[in-house]
Amino acid sequence: MAKILDEGILKQVQEVFAELNGEVRVVFFRSKENCDYCNETQQLLEEVISLSEKLSIEVFDIADDAAVAAQYGIDKTPAFVLAAKDGDQITDFGVRFSGIPAGHEFTSLINDLLIVSRRDSGLAPQTRSYLDELTEPLLLQVFVTPT
Amino acid sequence: MALQSPMIVAEAVEAMEFPELANKYEVSGVPHTTINDGLGNVIGAVPEATLVREIQQALERRKATP
Repeated sequence: MAKILDEGILKQVQEVFAELNGEVRVVFFRSKENCDYCNETQQLLEEVISLSEKLSIEVFDIADDAAVAAQYGIDKTPAFVLAAKDGDQITDFGVRFSGIPAGHEFTSLINDLLIVSRRDSGLAPQTRSYLDELTEPLLLQVFVTPT
Repeated sequence: MALQSPMIVAEAVEAMEFPELANKYEVSGVPHTTINDGLGNVIGAVPEATLVREIQQALERRKATP
């Protein structure tokens, strides 16, 4: 199968990945039906994770692995979670992508991999202190397009 | 933000692949951030402090309407 990412991009991403610190596990969910971008998204993620030993992927089917999908609150495909991996311990910070991370979103994917790898939000002190006090669930859905 | 608090889930949604969801929140431009299923909406890429204020306001609205 032809690669989605060209040599130039692969090289650039590999350079950025020198900053990777902790390991990141990509928990990917696909479905057998009605999923135009499942194959492409999985291939793109596999190409990205192949660039660093600190990255790994686990692939689940939303129907066959319904319990895992429920555990992560995944209800559509393609979707994936960027989780921290420390030994056998997988920590879900609540970082999700729904749909293929192409175009601009490819940059967001790379940045989010770096943030999860750092295990630190990088936010301003005032933002941190406000968010640390949150006592109720907060769902932030950011709608984006590839262009 | 999701990294900062275990209460937060942050999801990037590709609007063209999930049009029903995009329509539900009347997304007409990107980025468009919706807070807790439409309790608040932030249009455009805003500074961090602005997003925090919008989150505060949205959560206060929920308290006001039980």
